[in-house]
Amino acid sequence: MARSKRFEALDARPVNQDGFVTEWPEVGMIAMENPGDPKPSIKIENGKIVELDGKKRADFDMIDTFIADHAIKIENAEAANALDSLEIARKLVDFNCPRSEVIKITTALTPAKLTEAVSQLTVVEMMQAVNKLRAREMPANQCHVTNVKDNPVQIAADAAEAAVRGFAEQETTVGIVRYAPFNAMAIMIGANVGRPGILTQCAVEEATELDLGMKGFTAYAETVSVYGTEPVFIDGDDTPWSKAFLASCYASRGLKMRFTSGTGSEVQMGYAEGKSMLYLEARCQYITKGAGSQGTQNGSVSCCGVPAAVPSGIRAMLAENLIAMALDLECASSNDQTFTHSDLRRVARSLMQFAPGTDFICSGYSATPNYDNMFAGSNWDADDYDDWNIIQRDLKIDGGLSPVTEDEVVAARNKAAKVIQALFRELGLTEITDAEVEAATYARGSQDMPDRNVVEDLKAADGMLKRGVTSVDFVKALYRAGYEDVAESIYNILMQRISADYLHTSAILTKDFKVVSAVNYPNDYHGPKTGYQISDERWAQIKNIRQAIDPATI
Amino acid sequence: MTQEEMIKQVMAEVLKNLGGSDAPAAKPAAGSVSSDQYPLAEKVPEKLKSASGKAYAEFSLQKVISGELTSEDFRTNPQTLIMQAEVAESVGRDAFGRNLRRAAELTAVPDAELLAVYNALRPYRSTKAELLAIADKLETQYGCKISAGFIREAAGVYEERGRLKAE
Repeated sequence: MARSKRFEALDARPVNQDGFVTEWPEVGMIAMENPGDPKPSIKIENGKIVELDGKKRADFDMIDTFIADHAIKIENAEAANALDSLEIARKLVDFNCPRSEVIKITTALTPAKLTEAVSQLTVVEMMQAVNKLRAREMPANQCHVTNVKDNPVQIAADAAEAAVRGFAEQETTVGIVRYAPFNAMAIMIGANVGRPGILTQCAVEEATELDLGMKGFTAYAETVSVYGTEPVFIDGDDTPWSKAFLASCYASRGLKMRFTSGTGSEVQMGYAEGKSMLYLEARCQYITKGAGSQGTQNGSVSCCGVPAAVPSGIRAMLAENLIAMALDLECASSNDQTFTHSDLRRVARSLMQFAPGTDFICSGYSATPNYDNMFAGSNWDADDYDDWNIIQRDLKIDGGLSPVTEDEVVAARNKAAKVIQALFRELGLTEITDAEVEAATYARGSQDMPDRNVVEDLKAADGMLKRGVTSVDFVKALYRAGYEDVAESIYNILMQRISADYLHTSAILTKDFKVVSAVNYPNDYHGPKTGYQISDERWAQIKNIRQAIDPATI
Repeated sequence: MTQEEMIKQVMAEVLKNLGGSDAPAAKPAAGSVSSDQYPLAEKVPEKLKSASGKAYAEFSLQKVISGELTSEDFRTNPQTLIMQAEVAESVGRDAFGRNLRRAAELTAVPDAELLAVYNALRPYRSTKAELLAIADKLETQYGCKISAGFIREAAGVYEERGRLKAE
């Protein structure tokens, strides 16, 4: 048969490099509404849940036990679970039903019941529900700052630029594990040069990550992963109890923390137990809730390619964000890992959270070109900054970023590189040359950076840990080097440990180190012209893109 | 002396060693703060202290520079975490509040030991007896009553689900 020229052209489109599969419910290769999902049920005897979603207590696995004993508000459970799922779904969307009333119901539901309720909704209805149920009044955004060389000068410069552009939280990770202390230090310093009050983290193995936090190299943690079936949880080398204990460890050291999970992880690891991806993710959210985490990073995250390959998979990612919010958790709503070759698909996927706004729309947006993203690439990267800003302007939505000038960015990058150079010198670490400072100031990515002596860097990083250096030493060293302003910012980050105000749901800090969280700025949306509204001042910022010309001059 | 009295005494010791002079962390005055006092640093800074017993208002950048304040002074006071638990509970976040109450207890446990307990709770790391011994030590030595109960609960579940270290 001769080939259709239409189909030849279609076959060449980026979207046709993506992978798609048909559903296979028996192995859990289905986004939502698997016939194998349990029917909701709950039975309570003597204040204890003895039946959950069709299972008797004697048949509970570890996750059922944890959810039954820790995650469901039992006092309201029988009444809430007796409601019709469609009625609950309508309450999720209906702006006449206040968030507080919805939360009272949803936090008493079983995982299967809440899954059934959100499954009644279209994506438009889910977006309306997200607009109402997001915990914090105003949305924000988070970015990744990494590079393939683990170059700390570049991390500091990229972090400073990202802070100027508006990210409230920043996350780094490593190529080489022993670089972790340098990367953590560089992102913290760089981000707070760009804009005081940015919270930073370094994603590494659980125990190492906690250790870095204890030393004050980070302000929060996020890669505390949980899973929806017991075999996968055990493969992840943890249990709900070890993860809940870890949550308390972080809080005991005054560190903010959220859990991480997402649809597709269980089927990817081969143990989905014949359930839908969304139902298993609902179980993860209940574990998160029961462990006492203030929030979650979810939305498939690093398994994005799995739900994205099946029908209704992108809808399931929005549904899982909504489940997190319905459980009154902070939601950092993914939009991170690359999942498609198609620019159209990547925008469609992100609009689900971008348009209604979430606590952190991306978790994270790559603040570097994708070749430097060590989280296996992101759906958005530094080369997309103008696209993001212009979409905000087109739709009059607040995606957490602001247009900036080249001068501002160059100045912030230069200062961050100089500050990290001075800090390395004061702490007796490896040399950062003026040539590196200059390169980082103008770099797009690590291809523009000179190579460092990795062996010497790692030796210095190890030595710094052995000497017991903490962020208090950063403060002193920065002050000695003449950067009193940066010293003060790091000191103010440390002061959060004394007040612990930022441990609360959806907390971020302003440039004046005031805490903004779901406690003092709860989302009170209840219809048009309520809840978060873009102020005149903020709209002026969003509108002010460098590309726009004054029509009067034409 | 009953076990409860003993625990109270141990906890009083622990708090004294931490420099805290307030009542034991386990039983704070109920309802002492709520979301009305939040953020505590802005609304009730006079209630805040570091674990080393220094008042929030006594902190300054200059004291860090002069060496008067050290990294030990930037540790979180258990009483602060109890107040934050009360704030969480006042807005209906009970599970988060329970986490903060466990955390308040765990402020007394040294860093290395805390990491060791976390690792012991991971699957196949500990026998039941080892987990129970950890729970006992946390309770008697550091007054971590809630966390001890939590670890005993885990030991029971791990036994049922075959997630203990083979003896």
